[in-house]
Amino acid sequence: MAFPITKAKALREWKLYYFVLPSLALVLTFAYFPTISAVYHSFFEWDGGSGKEYVGFGNYSKVIGDETFWGSFMLILILIIANLFKLIPSIFTAVMIHRIKSDRAQYWYRVGVVIPMIVPGIVVLFIWKFFFDPSYGLLNKVLDVTGIKSLLVGIDGLFGWNIFLADAPISWLSTPELIAPALVIWGFPWIGTVGVLIYLAGLQNISKELYESSELDGANPFQQFLYIEFPLIMTQVRLSLVLMIIGTLQGFGQQFLLLGINGGPAGAGMTPGLWMFNKAFNQGQFGYACALGMFLFVFILALTYINNKYVRVDK
Amino acid sequence: MSLPTAPAPGRNKRLMNEVFKHLCVLGIMCFEILPIYMMLQISVKDNTTFIKNHFLPANPWIPNEKEMKTGFQERVAYKSETTGEPVDEILFGIIYDEKMKSGYQVPATVADLAVQLQDEAKAGGEELTPFLYERAWSFLSTSKWRWSNYNFGVKLIAPYVANTVFIAVLSAVGTLFFSLMGAYFFARYKMPGSTPLWMAFMFLMLMPGIANIVTLFALLKHLNLLNTLWALIIVHTAGGQVFNMFVLRNFIEDIPKDLFEAAEMDGASHFQQMMHIVVPMSGSILGTLAIFLFIGSWNEYLLPLIVLDDQELFTLGVGLIYLDGEYVKRWGLIMSAFFVASIPLIIIFLFTMKLFIRGLAAGAVKG
Repeated sequence: MAFPITKAKALREWKLYYFVLPSLALVLTFAYFPTISAVYHSFFEWDGGSGKEYVGFGNYSKVIGDETFWGSFMLILILIIANLFKLIPSIFTAVMIHRIKSDRAQYWYRVGVVIPMIVPGIVVLFIWKFFFDPSYGLLNKVLDVTGIKSLLVGIDGLFGWNIFLADAPISWLSTPELIAPALVIWGFPWIGTVGVLIYLAGLQNISKELYESSELDGANPFQQFLYIEFPLIMTQVRLSLVLMIIGTLQGFGQQFLLLGINGGPAGAGMTPGLWMFNKAFNQGQFGYACALGMFLFVFILALTYINNKYVRVDK
Repeated sequence: MSLPTAPAPGRNKRLMNEVFKHLCVLGIMCFEILPIYMMLQISVKDNTTFIKNHFLPANPWIPNEKEMKTGFQERVAYKSETTGEPVDEILFGIIYDEKMKSGYQVPATVADLAVQLQDEAKAGGEELTPFLYERAWSFLSTSKWRWSNYNFGVKLIAPYVANTVFIAVLSAVGTLFFSLMGAYFFARYKMPGSTPLWMAFMFLMLMPGIANIVTLFALLKHLNLLNTLWALIIVHTAGGQVFNMFVLRNFIEDIPKDLFEAAEMDGASHFQQMMHIVVPMSGSILGTLAIFLFIGSWNEYLLPLIVLDDQELFTLGVGLIYLDGEYVKRWGLIMSAFFVASIPLIIIFLFTMKLFIRGLAAGAVKG
């Protein structure tokens, strides 16, 4: 902890306040001011410049009746559930790397896990877009070769969806019904670099004796995972769970880059964040976008509060 | 006297277990690296090769002179109409077009060529030998690595890379300098009012950034910072304060107090204490944080997209978005540009691999 200081000495050391001044000024101008300004402008019809007109709670009541906004939470729900399952490969990889005996191999596998980070995120995004390309993409090729496509066509015929056709390539990103599945398949095998490294850091604290005694008790590897490893990395799993939910709720970069500012065909890829972005920078309704932002803000703040209260992360 | 060691009963099984684990991890890694593999192999293909063969790497070599008598002569004979220099690509195009007209399929991989040759050998085989060289030539010429994609990639991406490096370096330095100063303030003494100030900083950690983006844009417009790189640098610097200050404060508090006292005895000012005690003692954490900040700026695209208008000022994120829209379906060019965009990160990674891996784990746990 910092030294306690007497009042007299603090007066003599007043120059120390200069140290915090730049940070404070930056944070006040570029974090607090925009937030307060957003609260203020959510009560206005605002074009982003000087033209604004007070509308009271008009924006808020419009948001409550906004079908696109509330409909976009459906996609978020699907993505959160999918992302829940997408945590599993990272945990599995971390446990596998942890159980490998040779330290040297462990180190190099760690390097392997980190390697995808050297490619900028946006590049990975575009490469995946290429994977989803109807005629050149890897995904359609794999489905063709493994025969899954004919299976899908068969199922389609059974239910009459008219999505998977035998004579046309599957166009993942331009069929409204396929956008949610495409976003779920996205990023296979769903290894999160930071996630794996967090889990590994947690796993390293497990003592060898626990494994030995469990082996004496005749536990098989899966039981070892269930009763030793998983409970002990629970903290890290919770942490990444919370970060994942908040990230999914406010994320819209991926949908924006892949599907455009309108969320793709029929707006099937619309997320709340993207709708806010669209309202502001596409339709010029800055005040309404601020009100949308306030809703998101409250949701995320509530989630953070719940997280701090119930899912305490102890160091 | 030691007892003869009998092999442990479960030894084979344990070995199998170990092999299984390695295979699992390796399999996952293969899938994980797949996008990078695709990027690299497509980046050296031209469009014709790509359309024939999307997934397997093209042949890297060019045939030696003996193997490609016919083709080589043609190649030397052909000059570009405008410059008078032999131009490989045009030549490939001509050969390719002629073959296509006569219904001839140019093979895209070695395996395809072999299949074609076998088929013809089965069918009769007289035609096989005279055309072999020519065919080998046309095959190899369409599938050899086309490095000229990278001319395009570098030319297009280099200015964006330069802009991004400028932003990333300046904002990393600025963030670290100011947050180090702030952290020093909080860690050195419990000054009056430091607790509420700290709370004010930490509250921002909980605050979602999403609600800000609209009004941040308006603020930047008001400050006349739109369409400048400084807007990005300042916003990054402000955005990085909280987390970095949090990490650095913990770090500075762990430095023994005697060091500061001794320096004070010698008449060092606070700024000198910071530069001569804190900075040398926290070199590795500063390095790690700097790498994070650099990668953060490197991956940013939303703010630049809103703020920047001039193509000369584009950062990597915006540049790549425009590239994706403009060079539709010219995958070789696009992928080479993508690879050029990753080179600076690869260089950093190679030099700071340990810092990278250790720092990621430690930083992530703390965050």
